[in-house]
Amino acid sequence: MAAERFIIRGDLGAATFLPWVRRHMGKLGLTGELGQSGEALVELRVEGPPDLIDALEMGVSLGPIEAWVESIERAPLNSL
Amino acid sequence: MTSEAIRNEWYPVALASQLGPEGRDTRLLGEPIRVDWAAQGRPRVRAADGREMATRLRYGHIWACPGTPSRELFDIPEADQPGRRLVDVGVVRVKCSPLRAVENFLDIAHFPFVHTDILGAEPHTEVGKYDVAIREEVDEVWATKVHFYQPQAAKSAAGGITTEYMYRVPAPTVSILYKTCPPRPGEWDVITLFVQPLEENLCEVWPWMALFDDETPMTDLIHFQQTIFLQDRSILENQLPRLLPLDPGMEIPTRADLTSVAYRRWLKRRGYTYGAQLVAA
Repeated sequence: MAAERFIIRGDLGAATFLPWVRRHMGKLGLTGELGQSGEALVELRVEGPPDLIDALEMGVSLGPIEAWVESIERAPLNSL
Repeated sequence: MTSEAIRNEWYPVALASQLGPEGRDTRLLGEPIRVDWAAQGRPRVRAADGREMATRLRYGHIWACPGTPSRELFDIPEADQPGRRLVDVGVVRVKCSPLRAVENFLDIAHFPFVHTDILGAEPHTEVGKYDVAIREEVDEVWATKVHFYQPQAAKSAAGGITTEYMYRVPAPTVSILYKTCPPRPGEWDVITLFVQPLEENLCEVWPWMALFDDETPMTDLIHFQQTIFLQDRSILENQLPRLLPLDPGMEIPTRADLTSVAYRRWLKRRGYTYGAQLVAA
């Protein structure tokens, strides 16, 4: 198991973005929580198998059609 | 009515060597068009109302832009390199989204399962790590350092080798593959997929190649590539959803799908949605 913080940047103001991220995490069986969020930046803390955290990054980089994810910065966390 | 982002791109509409004096009636982005030769051997492409489109004759094909070209037709410098054989493979009509056809071409993971004992074979199914980027300076998708074991990488290959690939997407319905060239170390064979979007879920695919291969008869080169693409066609025509989702939808992309993800991101950023599925969140 691994724990990471994602800093997601882009055009994230669409109302659908955060629920979409939560659903995608659930689909992958990951646990975690959303931290600070705004129209240009969303912080996400996530825990689960490293391969599935990689898959979350790939899924979120596409995101829902209404949002544009410019970049995702990842950093390891000791624990959630 | 399609958007300007879609209309301002270049599309292949005919193989020059097969376009006779009678011309060709076909479709582009759901609209009827006519392709023929004007005076002095100039290619001409007209919409149903008679309006002439911007055209180019390049890489063995006639290209048309139904709107105002947002940029010049992409360059393939290898097309002018002495010693290469330029191979017009012909056309394959496929009942699929034009974007699905490009995405399939970018997918290496399917080689051992669809092109068994030609482009791949079990147990060599793992796709190693490779690099993918949207190159901002040229606004193209590039995947590099792709390595894969292939039992017969090309018509000229005598046995199995680990082949290195690069993939390039210079336009939404065009993909170019650069691969290790067995008889000419240091050079890349170029295999392209030019896709003409007839409708959102119907396209004509025109593979074209620029190879260093002086020995293989032309008919064998064409047959080899047609065999590969006909194997892909049955997969493409049964893919669901039929249109290419621009969000992951029900799919769980993995590392092997990095190029596909970059391609979809690039389409999304350009607002290119012809043949795409816009899934409600």
